[in-house]
Amino acid sequence: MNIKHMFDGKINDKMVYGFLIHTILIIGAVIMLLPFVWTVLTSLKPLHEVTRIPLTIFPEEIKLENYSLAMATLPFINLYINTFVMIIARIICAVVFSSMAGYAFARINFPGSKILFYLVLIQMMVPAQIFLIPQYLIVAKLGLLNSIPALIVPGLVSAFGTFLLRQFFKALPSDLEEAAILDGCNQWQIYRRVMLPLAGASLSALGIFTAVFAWKELMWPLIVNMSMNKMTLSSGLATLIGHYETSYPVLMASAFIAIWPMLLLFVIFQKRFVEGIALTGTKG
Amino acid sequence: MKQKLILFLVLAIALNTMAFAGGQKEAKSTVKGTMAISYAIWDRNQAPGMQAIIERFEELNPDIKVSLEVSTWSDYWTRLEAAATGGAMPDVFWMHANHIRKYAENNMLLPIGVRVKADPDLDYSNYPVGVTKVYEIGGVNYAIPKDFDTIGLCYNKRMFEAAGISYPDSSWDWNKLLDVAKQLTNESKGIYGFAAKASNQSGYYNIIYEFGGYVLNEDKTKSGFDQPETIEAIQFWHDLIHKHHVSPTIEQMADTKARNIFSSKKLAMYTMGSWRVTGLANNEVTKEVADIAVLPKMRTRASIYNGLGNSIAASTKHPEEAWRFVKFLGTKEANIIQAESGAAIPAFKGTQEPWFNFRPNFNLKAFVEMLDYGVPYPTSKTGPKWVKFESEMMLQILSGKVGVEEGCRQIAAETNKWLATEK
Amino acid sequence: MLGIEVRERPSILKDRKKKYFRKNKGNYAWAYFMIAPTLIGLFILNIWPIIQTIYLSFCSSGDFGKFIWMGGGNYVKILTDRTFWQATVNTFLFVLLSVPGAICLSLLTAGLLNSKIKGKALYRTIYFLPVVAAPAAIAMVWRWLYNKEYGLINHMLLFFGIQGPGWNTDPGIALASIAIVAIWSSVGYNMIILLAGLQNIPKSYYEAADIDGANPFRKYFSITLPLLSPTLFFVIVLSVMRALKQFDLVYMITGIQNPAIRQTRTLVYYFFERGFEMDDKAYASVIIVFLFLIIMLVTWFQFIIQKKWVYYN
Repeated sequence: MNIKHMFDGKINDKMVYGFLIHTILIIGAVIMLLPFVWTVLTSLKPLHEVTRIPLTIFPEEIKLENYSLAMATLPFINLYINTFVMIIARIICAVVFSSMAGYAFARINFPGSKILFYLVLIQMMVPAQIFLIPQYLIVAKLGLLNSIPALIVPGLVSAFGTFLLRQFFKALPSDLEEAAILDGCNQWQIYRRVMLPLAGASLSALGIFTAVFAWKELMWPLIVNMSMNKMTLSSGLATLIGHYETSYPVLMASAFIAIWPMLLLFVIFQKRFVEGIALTGTKG
Repeated sequence: MKQKLILFLVLAIALNTMAFAGGQKEAKSTVKGTMAISYAIWDRNQAPGMQAIIERFEELNPDIKVSLEVSTWSDYWTRLEAAATGGAMPDVFWMHANHIRKYAENNMLLPIGVRVKADPDLDYSNYPVGVTKVYEIGGVNYAIPKDFDTIGLCYNKRMFEAAGISYPDSSWDWNKLLDVAKQLTNESKGIYGFAAKASNQSGYYNIIYEFGGYVLNEDKTKSGFDQPETIEAIQFWHDLIHKHHVSPTIEQMADTKARNIFSSKKLAMYTMGSWRVTGLANNEVTKEVADIAVLPKMRTRASIYNGLGNSIAASTKHPEEAWRFVKFLGTKEANIIQAESGAAIPAFKGTQEPWFNFRPNFNLKAFVEMLDYGVPYPTSKTGPKWVKFESEMMLQILSGKVGVEEGCRQIAAETNKWLATEK
Repeated sequence: MLGIEVRERPSILKDRKKKYFRKNKGNYAWAYFMIAPTLIGLFILNIWPIIQTIYLSFCSSGDFGKFIWMGGGNYVKILTDRTFWQATVNTFLFVLLSVPGAICLSLLTAGLLNSKIKGKALYRTIYFLPVVAAPAAIAMVWRWLYNKEYGLINHMLLFFGIQGPGWNTDPGIALASIAIVAIWSSVGYNMIILLAGLQNIPKSYYEAADIDGANPFRKYFSITLPLLSPTLFFVIVLSVMRALKQFDLVYMITGIQNPAIRQTRTLVYYFFERGFEMDDKAYASVIIVFLFLIIMLVTWFQFIIQKKWVYYN
């Protein structure tokens, strides 16, 4: 649906299409945003307002104490740092290893490539819960319990990333390597000089997804890191749920505190992401 | 862009190394001459109390450092089990009736009963007999009782005052409660008199025993769910919802827990475990309007009680230090600190008073009084298995989808099946 | 390099390429080198646990890893397990309810966001937000939006004079309610991937089509969809897999003590109940094996029919 090509000539059509698109997108945006807006509004209200019927939309009374209470309960600075370090490490691993493997599976017809690729996919066909205890035992054996590296272990390799990059590389024109072959490049050089530069958009997407998966991980940080100051934001938040069960506003405040840095980071990097796509997007 | 990436990488590696180094350090002794041991618990609410005890202990024992590890109820056991399988258990940790047999029978716990009996400063008679017994497997004691909890009746004072009804007291029986609940229920306003919860320990188990029924028989070989008294009790509980309409429905309580309906001022009474007191005190609504009374009686008076214990891992690398800590946890002093923090009702006899004073406007004494009528929380080795079936069937019974008698018989049959595998 | 266009290849080049690829051991060596880290890591961290789980399903549960081989007993037991079969039905139903909706919506949004309108970056951010939010927070909020008495959704319906249902507690709707949250939180996720795929379609194709005078529909179905199909395939395969493995939302939104659990219990949730709550890991492993087989079959099926609709050039 490359709409820009519909804009040839008729001004009226352009405005109608633009209006239509914006309407649809805005409706969708409201639905996407509603729970977040509700979170923030609730976090500012006192408890009695939150459980009153009929509901109030905007807080009649603003209780910022909800936030100070939430902040006082968790070592947020530690949680931010742990989460950040874990995410960066996992992104690096995912991008490096997955692009290599994805390229190999997509462009090199080596013996066993089909079977090995299915083996990669198998990891995604089972619920992650079954990896909990075996991976825990490995981390325990390595003496890495209750540490930051422990947080990174499940994300050292990525079947998802491999699949994503393989699809991407496979979609590239089949004669892309020709010129490089004529020049006498080996596979590694083809990968580094021809393929990788084109993968900007997919790698960015992979980076973002790795960050998001890591960010959301609940059970793993909870069982492998015992000290509160070694946990991540998601798990830290989860421990709060039992604590403030009856205080919805404080719970919502914590939820917001847990989300906003990721939001901010995404907003910032999203621009880079868009630029990156723009740069690599123009192909003849 | 590339430069920023490199900066990130450097920063990440730096942070990583710092954090890694920090992590390793904590695992070993931090200062020369001190031993570090870990204490694992699962209740955030109690963390400040436990921390206070630790600080006092470290004052008296400067050569030991205790690190507190707090989880949530659900992941605590996953983690403990993984740790037990991998040989990386915390040194000292809380133990619970649901899991004691599994850990004890697999030699995961240090048998400390011998030490307790040999120690002049400790005596098992200082703690409630029922709680001590929970942690005694095969004649060997594996824990020192830490606290006990009972079930009481939580009610909204203002609603009683507004209706001109006197507060619940020890003369009440369930018929009286039903009466009052009817008066306090106002369906058009969505206000209910009493919540017939689907919870067992803090809900229907209590009424079962008060009607003269039982959940498990004395030697835990048979389920009591097919006893006529039990069925009668469950019928009464069920009728509160469906016949007398004084209770919110199961669906409503699935949407909003009974205690939240209570704090929204839409519920007059409900049965509550003493471990919820801190929550009651923290909530700006309930801390003004709530109070506690003893449970109403029927043919007899009863309240389910349970208690946590402090255990030592059999695989601990610091048995002496762990023992000293566990011993301290069992002393009067530690129990008083626990009481003062309002965390839980301390197990040590006579130390409960500071717990009452934690929130003087609540009649917390009621919880302790109920201990005299306490029924130990009924569970067995295969408890986790049959309690799941029981909980789900109770949901069906209480939501009116399965008949009371039919459902109870099914529960009894399933429970008996599991009990049979235990010996 | 970037200026390569599709055109007739001289046969000389074809032969040379074949020679290069056929027996070039150097290529294979590079291939193995490049897949090594991923495969080794996957084997240790994931494949081996899967093998362990399969082994476990043939054992009887023991404490702390002490499992005893017992043959197919668990498998026989599960055939008559009503909860298990209900969970299977629920899981399939959930896939049907959540995947098509999510895919269509993300295709739509990705397409709209690929156009030349203002504010794309803002929309992209907004649509991606649900993906970024912590699952615990999402569940909390939606659970509460769905609350029959205090929830915002029923509150708004009341304005139209409609008495809203118990989204969480009505057994007839509960699964659909969870599917809605699943769609809501995955649209942004699929959208980003599809967007990357759309961006990689060379503009030259569209320009060529314009010269030929093609209309927008023709362009969409002859250029966009085929060239997007590898990415779309990826998104569909992944969405189906994820839906079959659904656990988090059921655990946190339906929750405990909810009679509607019978209709929302998915296979992974049942696994969790059996394996972690009821302490019967061996039996729970059978559920995993079963789920694994289903996912394998479904995925394999998708890979086979991909030849019919997915276009790799």
